[in-house]
Amino acid sequence: MRISKTIISYLKKGGADFFLSVPCKLLANMIAILENDKDVFYSAIPREEEGMGICAGAYLGNKLPCIMMQNSGIGNAVNSIVSLLQLYQMPVVFLISYRGTPGELVGAQAGMAKVTKEILQTLRIPMLHCSSEKDLDKISTFTAYAKVIENPVAILCDFNLMKED
Amino acid sequence: MNRFELLKSLQPMLQDNLIVCNIGIPSQELYHINDQPNYFYMLGSMGLASSIGLGLSLSVDKNVISIDGDGSVLMNMNTLATVGNRAPNNYTLLIIDNSSYGSTGDQKTFTDEKTNLKEVAIGAGCRNVIECNGSDTPSNLEKALGDKNNSYVIISKINSGNVAVKPIPINPITIRDRFRKIIGKVDYLK
Repeated sequence: MRISKTIISYLKKGGADFFLSVPCKLLANMIAILENDKDVFYSAIPREEEGMGICAGAYLGNKLPCIMMQNSGIGNAVNSIVSLLQLYQMPVVFLISYRGTPGELVGAQAGMAKVTKEILQTLRIPMLHCSSEKDLDKISTFTAYAKVIENPVAILCDFNLMKED
Repeated sequence: MNRFELLKSLQPMLQDNLIVCNIGIPSQELYHINDQPNYFYMLGSMGLASSIGLGLSLSVDKNVISIDGDGSVLMNMNTLATVGNRAPNNYTLLIIDNSSYGSTGDQKTFTDEKTNLKEVAIGAGCRNVIECNGSDTPSNLEKALGDKNNSYVIISKINSGNVAVKPIPINPITIRDRFRKIIGKVDYLK
């Protein structure tokens, strides 16, 4: 719970004030924190691509949206990232549970893990890769950076970082 | 009635509200009928006009209307569940249902066969779902906008067919910035 609390507080410190998730076991503590947070909007939603649309609308309404999802969700959302968020230059923070990284128990997750960073690189999305607690204090600056560059940014949280939280 | 005629008849109701319009010919027709800064033309991301409007309505007090189509809702059908569970009272989803993929050559969609979007919307959790023909759409939209206690899904059943108009000649950043200016949100970096 300590790590999840730290991540949420840094996201909020960086300006994120509108949260969505397509749930993941590794995000469960963050989701529980947000469900009880009266200061920000939070909802679970069925699919990441739809989430990109909701984030786009929230940005138009002056929010800094953050969508939490597994790395598989990036695969679901590629066109909406390119043809909506990047086309109109809309800042959105992707908080990604990096499934399939060492420590993972489900072998099937390894496929998306292998290509996640390459997909993000191909999309020219700046990445912050958090593999230990000492990486977390970069999250607030990185969140604010999305606004400065008016584009999406991605924060990847390794399986081993989140599993014991 | 076709989409162009419907969009024309809706103009008085669109002026004081924030409009998110579907990709392709729907946005092009809207632009050519009466371009306004409070119209957000969605140029890519087919399926997401309903979602963009929903996110906007959750962030502002003004009325928001997403003008969507049957083909697009079929592409992003989970949106109806999210709308049914999360839409605030300032949100209206207007689905122009001409049973065809208008922007790609009027191929038939499943609403021409067995799929009934009204029943899907109700099953997904939307509570105020109105299905009507094109000429009854303005009055139903007026009712939806006037009701401050409920959000609505309106399914407007019209004929297929497009008017030959050119692509929208303004760039995405201009569309974004003039839209945000109407909302009063261009100085967000402060």
